[in-house]
Amino acid sequence: MNDLKMKILVVDDFSTMRRIVKNLLRQLGYENIEEAEDGAQAYSKLKTGGFGFVVSDWNMPNMDGLDLLKKVRSDPELKDLPILMVTAEAEKEKVITAIQAGVNNYVVKPFTGEILKEKIDKIFERLNAHK
Amino acid sequence: MQDEMEEIIIEFITEAEESLDKIEPLFVELERKGEDKDMLNDIFRSMHTIKGAAGFLGFQLIVDVAHASENIMKKVRDGEIAMSRLLMDVLLRSVDMLRLLLRHLKEKDGVTENVSPLVKDLGNALAAAVSKTPETGHHEKTAGEAKLPESAAPVIEKPEIPVMKEVDLTQAHAANGEQHTVAASAPPKQKETLTAALSGEHNQAPEKTAPANGAVKPDTQPQATDDGEPKQEPKQNEMIQSAKDNIQKAQNLRVDVHRIDKVMDLAGEVVLVRNRLLNISNYFDFKYTGDPMTEVLMETVSFLDRVTSDMQLAVMKMRMQPIQKVLSKFPRLVRDISASVKKDVDLQIFGEGTEVDKSVIEHIGDPMTHILRNSIDHGLESSEERIAKGKPQQGKIVINTYQKGNQIVIEIADDGKGMDVNKLKSKAVEKGLMTEDEAQKMSDEAAVDIIFMPGFSTKEVATELSGRGVGMDVVKTNISLLNGYVEVSTVKDVGTTFKICIPLTLAIIQALMVEVDGAKYAIPLSPIEETLKVSRKEIDNITGQSVIVVRDKICPLFELNDLLNTGTTGSSNEDYKYLIVISMGDKRFCIAVDKLLGQEEVVIKTLAGLDTTSSNVLGATITGDGKVVFILDVAGMSRNLLGITKG
Repeated sequence: MNDLKMKILVVDDFSTMRRIVKNLLRQLGYENIEEAEDGAQAYSKLKTGGFGFVVSDWNMPNMDGLDLLKKVRSDPELKDLPILMVTAEAEKEKVITAIQAGVNNYVVKPFTGEILKEKIDKIFERLNAHK
Repeated sequence: MQDEMEEIIIEFITEAEESLDKIEPLFVELERKGEDKDMLNDIFRSMHTIKGAAGFLGFQLIVDVAHASENIMKKVRDGEIAMSRLLMDVLLRSVDMLRLLLRHLKEKDGVTENVSPLVKDLGNALAAAVSKTPETGHHEKTAGEAKLPESAAPVIEKPEIPVMKEVDLTQAHAANGEQHTVAASAPPKQKETLTAALSGEHNQAPEKTAPANGAVKPDTQPQATDDGEPKQEPKQNEMIQSAKDNIQKAQNLRVDVHRIDKVMDLAGEVVLVRNRLLNISNYFDFKYTGDPMTEVLMETVSFLDRVTSDMQLAVMKMRMQPIQKVLSKFPRLVRDISASVKKDVDLQIFGEGTEVDKSVIEHIGDPMTHILRNSIDHGLESSEERIAKGKPQQGKIVINTYQKGNQIVIEIADDGKGMDVNKLKSKAVEKGLMTEDEAQKMSDEAAVDIIFMPGFSTKEVATELSGRGVGMDVVKTNISLLNGYVEVSTVKDVGTTFKICIPLTLAIIQALMVEVDGAKYAIPLSPIEETLKVSRKEIDNITGQSVIVVRDKICPLFELNDLLNTGTTGSSNEDYKYLIVISMGDKRFCIAVDKLLGQEEVVIKTLAGLDTTSSNVLGATITGDGKVVFILDVAGMSRNLLGITKG
């Protein structure tokens, strides 16, 4: 399930951040990575299908990470899509909301490739265990 | 990998600077229009994002400053504290600091700044604002919370405990701790959800494959979604629509400017080759008229001609950016300046979308800043003075930018007292910039230009703002460097308008090709008013200066070979001379040449090691016949020639 060829969507309004996350994912061996600038763009990209995993920022214009998460979870086609939320330290109190809304895991900025790997592995470990 | 890192850092700097450019005007807007949720959120988000990315890249100072600012913005956004002048000032200081830190990164000068006083001030300002809030009673919700700190706090903090712990555990790489911690300390209702969420049951329903099939066959029966929308069809339409929007959005590409410049350079070379081919094909057309291959050649070359022009335009457009980039800094600037001279100023900006070449963006900021300072400091009256004159108490400055033909026009107009021509004259005489006699003879229009003379400043006491040794002459010089010019018009008690005109692009220009003593030169077409063929008899001489009457006005005349110090005498014995009438702002002069050869599109190549300020040469180009030709610097000539004769 956690295969290196799966299509990953990186969502962040700051292109430097997208690049950093993309870079980290590449270091972990993922090749098939696409980007979106905000929740709305991400959602319509996801609707085109084929994505196996989403790494999304929280704070974004138009549609933020939480709204994206809710929208994905309420969409019958996408509801099972694993989502990793990227948050800042200051948003810890909000993480609870995200967990309630069905986020698979979250990672606090800044993080290393190792931390990211651990988070991803954990998500897919759980998913596979419940298959 | 190293390169990749380098690129990411460069991208970060650019993006962070752009974010700051975007939010800076918002502060001023907030101050003027009061709190606006969207604006507050934008500012908050920018600080937040800069902090986040800087954290990854290890720029701790940026993280510290952005973090402290973000803390304030968060509270303001959430309505917990009200925006105040004090907060605004300290936030703007942090914007300045972030810019400074970014600049150090960009220049790799290794300079570090001591941010701790600022961070402390940010913290203090926040603390002060928080302690003030209950008294204002302005934000009901906040006031309520603040009155009950003991009882409210635990409620807010409780959910934070498990999360904090989890973060710690995660960071400590403890694999199985999460669930336990959550289960142990979260309130019952949350516990259930959390446990479920984290163990994945909630999300990973057994019927996993069903929705996937649904995706493949969208025409299976419409499914009711969780939010109670039973219809799928309109949703899909909406999707297609937003997908289309996104295709448009996604077409923005960030490209290193050096790559664009390289393309620009190559496009320039293609233009030169095209010009050369045009020349050659004309020769063949002349020599082998009617030959079918000549026809084909002519057709092909004319196609190349068209495509090249299109390409040139396309490449030029790649370098164009909205002037907004420069203008967005001014609300803040005007705010600061007007505060320091205690004047009330309303700045209005129009035409932010006007696109100009990147190099214009880079170089127009300083001259515009200087003009604005001048307008606020010297142009606008104090509020009392304005009221006494029956004007609105608030002074007004309007910046308007637009494209006119091949030029970009930037107007900066104030509704101040206007310039006192006689005062300007007497000041200039006093400073020894001109004689009494010269001043008497000088027209009012010419007298306004005195402000551009080096070493001129009208204020008795040079203020901190305008009179810092750099005069308006620097404005003129800077604008000339962009091949542009600046004009001033002023009406007493109505105001002063500065009008800056700059050619659309700097790399490829239309030029008039001329010949003197057998040598070819290119003169940029934009400042040329007209060309004339005159007989030698029409040229007069007044105290050693050749002049000619052009359309009822006396116009100084210069021989091109004198201007270029070619050492030749312009000896051609023809009875007729060709004159090129140049108009730079309100200055007019003629350049005499032997022959006019026609108009050509030339690509400016800068010449290394050439002193462009004194040589009257802007650069060189290669013409259609493959020769290297100098491009004359008309703006420089106007400065060198008329600056001297006037002073």
